[in-house]
Amino acid sequence: MHYVFHFDVVWDHFPELLTGALLTIRLSAIAMVLGLVLGVVCAYQASAGPGPIRQAIKLYVEIIRNTPFLVQIFIFYFSLPTIGLRLDANTAAMLAMTINLGAYASEILRSGIEAVPRGQIEAGRALGLSRLQIFRLIILFPALKTVYPALASQFILLMLGSSVVSTISAVELTAITNSLQSTTFRSFEFYFVATGMYLVMALGFRASFTALYWLVFQRGRGA
Amino acid sequence: MSGGVSAFTFLYLLEAVPWTLLLSFVAFLGGGVVGLLIAVMRIVPSRPVRWLATGYIELFQGTPVLMQLFIVYYGAAVLFDIHIDAWSAVVLVFTCYSGAFLGEIWRGAIQAIPRAQWEAAACLPLSFRKQLWYVILPQAARISIPPTVGFGVQLIKGTSIAAIIGFVELTRAGQLMTNATFKPMIVYPTVAAFYFLICWPLSLLAETLERRIDANLGIKRRL
Amino acid sequence: MKTYLRLLALLVLVAGSTLSMSQPAHAETTLDKILKEKKLRVAIDVGNPPFGVLGKDGQPDGSDVAVARQMAKDMGVELEFVQVPSTGRIPALLAGRADVTIASISVTTDRAKTVMYCNPNGALSIVILAPKATAIQKPADMAGKRIGITRATLEEATVPKMAPQGTNIVWFDEIGATIQALLSGQVDAVAMTSFAGKTVADGNPDKQIEPKLTVTTAFYGPIVRPNDFELRQWINTWIFLNTQNGTLAAIYKQHTGLDLPTLPTF
Repeated sequence: MHYVFHFDVVWDHFPELLTGALLTIRLSAIAMVLGLVLGVVCAYQASAGPGPIRQAIKLYVEIIRNTPFLVQIFIFYFSLPTIGLRLDANTAAMLAMTINLGAYASEILRSGIEAVPRGQIEAGRALGLSRLQIFRLIILFPALKTVYPALASQFILLMLGSSVVSTISAVELTAITNSLQSTTFRSFEFYFVATGMYLVMALGFRASFTALYWLVFQRGRGA
Repeated sequence: MSGGVSAFTFLYLLEAVPWTLLLSFVAFLGGGVVGLLIAVMRIVPSRPVRWLATGYIELFQGTPVLMQLFIVYYGAAVLFDIHIDAWSAVVLVFTCYSGAFLGEIWRGAIQAIPRAQWEAAACLPLSFRKQLWYVILPQAARISIPPTVGFGVQLIKGTSIAAIIGFVELTRAGQLMTNATFKPMIVYPTVAAFYFLICWPLSLLAETLERRIDANLGIKRRL
Repeated sequence: MKTYLRLLALLVLVAGSTLSMSQPAHAETTLDKILKEKKLRVAIDVGNPPFGVLGKDGQPDGSDVAVARQMAKDMGVELEFVQVPSTGRIPALLAGRADVTIASISVTTDRAKTVMYCNPNGALSIVILAPKATAIQKPADMAGKRIGITRATLEEATVPKMAPQGTNIVWFDEIGATIQALLSGQVDAVAMTSFAGKTVADGNPDKQIEPKLTVTTAFYGPIVRPNDFELRQWINTWIFLNTQNGTLAAIYKQHTGLDLPTLPTF
């Protein structure tokens, strides 16, 4: 069987692929920010909150971390409407990604929080700071710095994982690639180029995270 | 086939579980072999070999698994004129994927072994390969067990993506049963529950092992 | 005289061997391979009622599945199903995972560029389906509504062309997801074959799904790889015979409830 490559078809549709890539970046970036906030809140509550809240968060984290993301988005998009909560595809994708990341971020942060020297926390208490203040001023920043690489990796995994939201009709790079390849029958060429685009995005995010680290943690700010 | 969940629904889902486990197991074994190779390739003195291994890891960690599957299942078979069925495609992709992640985990473990161990081993009349095999790897193996088990959980969840190319494992079984029963609110949470029952014990195991190894290494973790 | 005869014999010998060398040995065709290995691999889509479904016992069933079974039986070979989702019906064939795809592939000129159609073995129509309460009486009514469509289908090729500006088309990879989207209210209407629509409506009487518009009608047929002329000819012959003896009409009626229209040939 002879296969003739037709990459020219891909270049003809490149603007659409680029749109898809931008949508993926936008979706992932928003989910990263919201997911991180959620993770911080949960990490704080998990260490300093009341008993029932701590249990609830533990349950949330364990459920998310032990079930596949694909099943999670199916539940958000297909199952919830049957009990009255209907979210459109892109919102469902965003929500699912945020909740997914929140669980992982909270776990990752927990180990960072534990790494903060006890002495600092005790000093804070001696100075009369409240629990929230101790968390905000003494724990959070060093914890983030410690777990930054793990967090960055998780973010990139999330961005790559966003490709499965195409199955619930959310519009991003994979969905657009699928539509293009099914109408032009050039499956290999389109998937090849789309994969390359994901790789570029992953490297791009990694570089941005490294730059961000330098900006936030290493430019003259103490601790 | 009219709507309505029956015993057959749960049975069908249950019967798909062995496929998820089998795929995970085979990919884990294959990935283990590849991972060991990659990990060693990352620490040998030869630079081209190291770069090759790094490139492999970047490729499989920097692209979505879904795309990897699409390329192998829809594309590569056309190029190389071989017949790849769904099972072979998923085994191939998940093996390569596991190899990249396990390789990284094990490289990290190897590099965590203090220099002193290498130097001590070098004092004995052992070649590089023997130093690795008799002194370094056994210690690295112990440290790497918790993250390796953790990755096992990731792999089991990751196999859900095989559903998208039609391979019938637990998630795809869920899709087929939803189509047959029109009851996504019952089927998908059940699928999630099955995954949870499989993954959660493994996650707990990983956590317990981590704590025990940390204790042995003299690291006290604040609870 | 003897020398002349010997020379003549030598000439005949040389000419004969040259002639036979200039005609290459008959290359093995796909049909040859199927008959030699005694196995026919057919790509089917079991998520596409009534052409391909998963029976209660987990075995494939449906009108195209029945056609495939009869075809293999008449060919005298073993049948192997290659189950694919909607988007895999053509790639599986082109990649060599199947010898023929029998999965209600409607005849379109675009597809004919990459695959070879056999004579049609059935007909279908694409309709817009929606719950009773949704008002869609003409194409213009689709504006502002979300219409769910499955990729790699006839509706993908035809609906966007007739949908007015402002229609929000929502894409799914397989018809199961499209159906779920309609039932859960994620889309206002869907486009699919009237048969699939009937299955959805019958399975969910409370939702009152009904066809609103007919988009197009089409014939569908088995497809083979380009250059598999021998296989295509065999299949066409088989279709001819089974149209004559009523087998195709019986299968069609059993699974769709309709009479098989007169099938064209090309």
